[in-house]
Amino acid sequence: MSTPALDGTAAGNQRETVRVVIVDDHAIFRSGLKADLDPRVTVVGEAGTVEQAIEVIARTRPGVVLLDVHLPGGLGGGGREVIAGSAALLGTTKFLALSVSDAAEDVVAVIRAGARGYVTKTISGAEITDAVFRVAGGDAVFSPRLAGFVLDAFGTAPADIADDELDRLSARELEVMRLIARGYSYKEVAKELFISIKTVETHVSAVLRKLQLSSRHELTKWAAERRLL
Amino acid sequence: MTTAPVRPPLVRSSDRMIAGVCAGLAAHLGWPVRMVRIGMAVAALAGGAGFAFYAWLWIMVPTADEAARRNARRPASPIAPAVSTPPAGSLHEPGSAVDPPFSAGTYPPAYPLRGYGPGSISPGAYAPAAGPAPSAMYDAGTPFQTPAAGAVPGTVGAGTAVPVSGVPGTGAWFRVRSMRYGKEILLGSGLLLVAGILIARLLGAEVPLGTLIPAAAILGGAAIAWMQLDETRRAGLVDKTKADQAGGWARLAAGLALVVAGVLVMVSGSGSWEQTWLALLASVAVLGGVALVLLPWGLKFWRDLETERAGRVRETERAEIAAHLHDSVLQTLALIQRRAASENDVVRLARAQERELRGWLFKDPAKDAGQLSGRIKAAAAEVEDGLGNAVDVVSVGDTAMTDRHEALVQASREAMLNASRHGGGPVSVYLEVSDGGVDVFVKDRGSGFDLRGVPEDRLGVRESIIGRMKRHGGTAEIISSPDGTEVRLKLPAAVAENGEGKP
Repeated sequence: MSTPALDGTAAGNQRETVRVVIVDDHAIFRSGLKADLDPRVTVVGEAGTVEQAIEVIARTRPGVVLLDVHLPGGLGGGGREVIAGSAALLGTTKFLALSVSDAAEDVVAVIRAGARGYVTKTISGAEITDAVFRVAGGDAVFSPRLAGFVLDAFGTAPADIADDELDRLSARELEVMRLIARGYSYKEVAKELFISIKTVETHVSAVLRKLQLSSRHELTKWAAERRLL
Repeated sequence: MTTAPVRPPLVRSSDRMIAGVCAGLAAHLGWPVRMVRIGMAVAALAGGAGFAFYAWLWIMVPTADEAARRNARRPASPIAPAVSTPPAGSLHEPGSAVDPPFSAGTYPPAYPLRGYGPGSISPGAYAPAAGPAPSAMYDAGTPFQTPAAGAVPGTVGAGTAVPVSGVPGTGAWFRVRSMRYGKEILLGSGLLLVAGILIARLLGAEVPLGTLIPAAAILGGAAIAWMQLDETRRAGLVDKTKADQAGGWARLAAGLALVVAGVLVMVSGSGSWEQTWLALLASVAVLGGVALVLLPWGLKFWRDLETERAGRVRETERAEIAAHLHDSVLQTLALIQRRAASENDVVRLARAQERELRGWLFKDPAKDAGQLSGRIKAAAAEVEDGLGNAVDVVSVGDTAMTDRHEALVQASREAMLNASRHGGGPVSVYLEVSDGGVDVFVKDRGSGFDLRGVPEDRLGVRESIIGRMKRHGGTAEIISSPDGTEVRLKLPAAVAENGEGKP
């Protein structure tokens, strides 16, 4: 059943291992995920609440944190709060959001707090492994659903030159987002658009940056309006 | 995110000299106990305001034990609050998204104190105002100066404000009742009103007490009578008399006004105002005395009733959730156990149940059948249930359904069925609605097929996807490669009558 994941250079080239911390309040899910992950991914810590997560992350300083969006504890901010609490490590530790929630506002909140990607919990272990390596390598990981959110939030019309560049997606970025929303892997996107995978990754990272930095008020308005999709 | 400073709740402390009021107050306000005690003593010298304030807090504020017991009854399950939005918080501040629980929890407890505190603690200009009103409630022998009628208007005022404030906005009546600290606020404003009237009289203003008091008594009586009924019965009554509509309110108000006017005319016609006034005073004094004696029991009883009612509401809520979980999740779990051997069945059951539960938890009006994205998702769910392969839908934008969109949904459904049946593995569906039209993409990761060498059964597909789209002025493309197949459906917005059917 496993699909040829976001198969790309990232997974193929990386021979070294990545240290990860799994943050999720369900022990069953944590152990299941641990079993599913590739042997090159070393789980160095686990946490079930916001406080535990901040403590474990500060102690183990992992390369990647697999972070559930909804977490008990803290001030009720969930994954967002964990990232805020680990802000000092954002340079070295990357966060990848995992969620069963389709609520756009949750996902967008975690991304805007600093997560480098978002995947749903139902994806296979191989796909998560690939996403982990991609995030560890500094790239962004977009699931089709996150790409859908982005298109919904930024609109599907390309940017004019005059527009504030943070508030709109360029025509190329829109194309990339559309293809990802349609279920294309990065490799397939590259093939479809006749560009290199590296260029696809650059576009996706640019979109991620816009999503994190844009103060476009439609973005917040949109997230508040749309409880989920 | 800034966090509002969380104050400890206002409860009577067990570290007590008399009733723990001062210690509790000090803990709540974060002031030294000694200062609060001295302030209270000083205020007591200022016309007895301190006594009244103390007595009032004694009666109204629960002890720490009581408060703890009440809080312990809150549901422990994390599901309940997630499922049922708490009515209090959401009614308070429908707009603000982040902090309402905090601010709602922090401010209102202090409210009665704010309205009152300055007056009774500092013996300033307010003291006479705040003083007499509560003391009239609890001092038995208040003879003449503070009109004994004060006892009733005190309580009455509080009760009166309920219907009065509800009249203009139709549904506001019940909202006032269900507001978190509505009762305290109403009581405070009622008392302030009485105090204002008393000050006005002291200053020599002509207040038509002769008319005000009977009116207040009648309204108050009605309010108290209404409070006897519990929420559901009241709602039923209001519903039956159509009192929740503007017309109903107008009728009710007119009727009340007529009755009051009639009583007033009758009373004033039967004798001189002097007599009426004296009789009224005497009867009110008696009533006030009785009320004073019965008040503690009444309050206690009322509070128990409140607690019990809140418990019952939670119980009903819980039962409803339990019933739903039983009908859906538990049944599915049972089925899954029985079919544990078949991975396909388990996955299918889990997916279907997940969808159902999601729909129930986040009821979304946009998912009504009238919207295109809702229909596409429904079609995807149907295919998923039928064939057991996951069908993930991502949608951007939405539009209301038309006949042409119906055709698009049918074509999409056919494409999903094919992708699921022949592709194997999960199917991705992407719907984009823009000004230019609607696009639907259905992608699978099967081994693909050659369009030219279509087998027999694909002819039907060709008809039901490509043909159907063409007939409605749209286009359909099928792109297949060894990596998978993608069906691209496009339906341009509002085409001319003859259509622009591109091949």
